[in-house]
This record gives sequence, structure tokens and C-alpha cells, in this order.
Amino acid sequence: MAKIVVSPERFSLVFFDAERIAELTGQVADKIGLPDDLELRIEVDERMPLGRTKISSLDPVTLSVEGGAFEDAKRPRHLSDRSVQDVLGRMLLRVKDRLDPNFENAPADENLSLQQLVAWTVYSEGRCERLGLPTQKQRWLYHFRNRHGFSDVADAAFDRLWNADALTWSDIDLICAETQRARDELANPGVR
Amino acid sequence: MRRHLPADALARDDRFVRWTLEDRISDPRAAARRAVSSSGGPDGSGGSGPTAKNRVGFNPSRPGAPDQARALMHGIFVGELQALEGAGRTCFDFDTGSGTDEVPLELKLDMARQCWDEARHCEISVKLGEWMGTEIGEFAENIFLFEAACNPDPVLRLVGVNRALEGLAIDVFNTMKEFGDSAGDPFLSFCEDWMLADEVTHVKMGSDWLRRLTEKDPARRDRALEFQRVVDRLFSTGGFRGEEKDSPIKLARKFREMAGFSTEEIDVVAEEARQARAEMTDKVAGP
Repeated sequence: MAKIVVSPERFSLVFFDAERIAELTGQVADKIGLPDDLELRIEVDERMPLGRTKISSLDPVTLSVEGGAFEDAKRPRHLSDRSVQDVLGRMLLRVKDRLDPNFENAPADENLSLQQLVAWTVYSEGRCERLGLPTQKQRWLYHFRNRHGFSDVADAAFDRLWNADALTWSDIDLICAETQRARDELANPGVR
Repeated sequence: MRRHLPADALARDDRFVRWTLEDRISDPRAAARRAVSSSGGPDGSGGSGPTAKNRVGFNPSRPGAPDQARALMHGIFVGELQALEGAGRTCFDFDTGSGTDEVPLELKLDMARQCWDEARHCEISVKLGEWMGTEIGEFAENIFLFEAACNPDPVLRLVGVNRALEGLAIDVFNTMKEFGDSAGDPFLSFCEDWMLADEVTHVKMGSDWLRRLTEKDPARRDRALEFQRVVDRLFSTGGFRGEEKDSPIKLARKFREMAGFSTEEIDVVAEEARQARAEMTDKVAGP
């Protein structure tokens, strides 16, 4: 199992348990197949009930997470195992991708377009589902449609991303270009 | 059947979990976020501020905007449930008559028609929730909308439900319709537009009945309007609904005018929202 460090060690504003987060992180990392010697740091900002997340570093792997991302939507301030697994599943799969030479030409996270970001996320979520991690397919389909269009072309692109297991960054980028063409065609019918 | 049902006696199955305003206000993270407002968020995207949820707005260009819309859609669903319960209660809780604790039959007929609308809105909201990837009960339910429908005076209850609650519905539906338009979501825009039309009718019914029932009783009308101000401030939820540039839910002036609100009355709602926002900011900033 990867070496995992969760900060803070003790939470004072929310009812989170750092040891539980570390345990869940280890389980998710093992399912994803991250190397055992990888160091994983999970930094939780317990002040924030919002759900923003960020891969702050790849060496060592550091994930910055606002507390709301790990929170139970039905029980404010309480940890949700499902939320932790869901959020970490897609984040750690992106880490795994980033460590893969097939993704070396992917832009930095802050330079990803909304279309690229959600396409990559859908690719991760589909893999999460097959790994037995919690996910919400219809939720991500809605995200995808919001960014790639409410169209048959977008839905077909979603299915390809969701069902794929070995894409490269170029594959994802090509899918984004395909839906962009469909949106352009819809906006300017007949113009090529 | 029991009359004048308290909010905590509403029937819900085990999918639903309640969250009160007190829970929200007593959340210690609010004070802790004060420091973040000046130091910026963890992803360097800028300060989240003491009223972070209020400041992010409904900007479709934000990565989390679809999730915000999902959560609001669930809020609309439970709001429709509570509006149905509120209108239904007004039909049942008061005898028919002309006394101050009675209501005319025609008012009950209007409330019955509103129940029909709200039941349809519940079904539409469930379908929209499924479309957006949300399960019933995925988010906690706040029952403060129904609390406005518990006043024992039928005129005050009427303004609580048909002017304050349904007025909020106008603002929310208009915001969601605009979000659907900006995202190109054909179902969301269409459904919100049709429900918005119903809400305008419901508020118009409230406005008309308020004037008719208090035509010869200006003191009662004043009490009703004062009650509405209190409820409207509550429904502004610390500025979540208002006219500020970053208010996630914008006051829909045009539709409120169509629903019988005068410009002055809308100005009052806007002012209540500003004061609610200021109070929330002060509360979060602490002593």
C-alpha cells in the first residue's frame, strides 16, 4: 500500500477522522493500482464546506481537498466514506494517468478547458465504476452534456469515454475536437 | 384529520433527512472561513469569503456549476412538496366563511388548483432531478418553506405561501431557466419556463386575495405585509437571493410585476435581501 499522510491529523470543525481517510485512500490507491512506494499526501481544508479539489503536486503526490468534498450531503460536517472514495477515485486515476507517458502532453490542470476537464473526469469515472468504486453515471452525463452539448454526438462520445480503459491524452483531445465540431455545426448549420 | 400541522410533523419516508436553519447558522466553519477570505482558497482561485456559497453565483463557466444546479434542483423539488402541503393545508385548516379565521370558498378553490399545479411540479422536479443525475433525498431537506405556511391567520398564511414562498419560486425558476438556456439544456429551460408561468399565477392569486380579504381591514393588511417582510428576509437566506451582482438567485422583477407586486413592494423584498446579506456577513465576521 502507498505511504499515506493526511493533514490535519485531528479535525476540530468537522467530524472527520484522519485515520479513516487514510484507510480509504489506501484502499482506493490499491484498487487503482498505484505503486506501493508512492507517497500520497491528502490535505483537507476543513474550514471549507465547498467541494473544490486539486492535484497540488505529483512529487510527492499531494491532493488538496476542501472539506465539503468529503462531506455527507445528508449529514453536514460528517465524513462520507462514499464521498471520499468517489473523489479520491477520480483524482488518483488522473494522478495515475499523469504518471503515464501517454499523458505527458496533457496540459496542466489549470490550463485544461472545461470540455477537456470533464472528458478526462468521465474517463476516470467509468474506470472507477468497473473497479467497484462509487460513482454517479447520470450525474457525469449531465456534466458532460453541459460542456459538450446536448446532442447524439456528445452522448456517443460520453459512452466511448465511460467504457474505455486505455486511452491516451490524444484520444481524449480528439473526442473533445469531435464534439466541438458538432457544436459548431449546430451553431452554424451548413458551414464547414 | 389534524388541523394546523406543525412543520416537524410533515410526512416523509426514510430517503429524506432534515436540516434546519439553526444547523446551518451554528456551523463553526462559517467563522473559520473569515481567514480564507483574505488569504485565498486552496486552489489559488481567490478568496471564498465569509459567505462563500453566496459569492460563487450561478456562473456556468465554473466547473462545479452543473452540480450547483443539481443541488438547487433538489431544493426546488422539496420546495414544491412543501408548497403543495402549504396550499393543501390552507384548503383544509380553515372553515368556509367570512370570519377572520375563515376563508371564502373561492379562495379554497384557488388553493385546490394550486395543489394540482404543485403536485405536477413535484413530478416535473423529480424527472428533472433524474435527468441531472440526482436521487430523491440525496441532499438534506430544509423545511423553512413550510414553516411560513403554519400561521393560524389565513391572510398571513396566504402571504407566507403565495407571496413569499411562491415569490421565491419565481426568482429560483427564472434563475434555473437562464442556467438551462446558457447550457443549452432543452428540458431544463422548457420545464422551468412552464413552472414559472404557474408560479406567477400563484403569486397573483395571493396578491389578489390579500387585497380582497383586507379591503376593509387595513390593520390586518399591515400585519400581513409585515409578516411577509419577515418571511422574505428569511427566504433571502443571507443574501443567497437578492439583487447583488453575485447573488446566485436574482430577484425576478419582471415576473413579480406580472404577479401583482408593485415596484415599491419589490423594492421592499430587495431591501430585506440586502439587510439579510449584511446580517449574515456581520454574523460570520464575528465580534
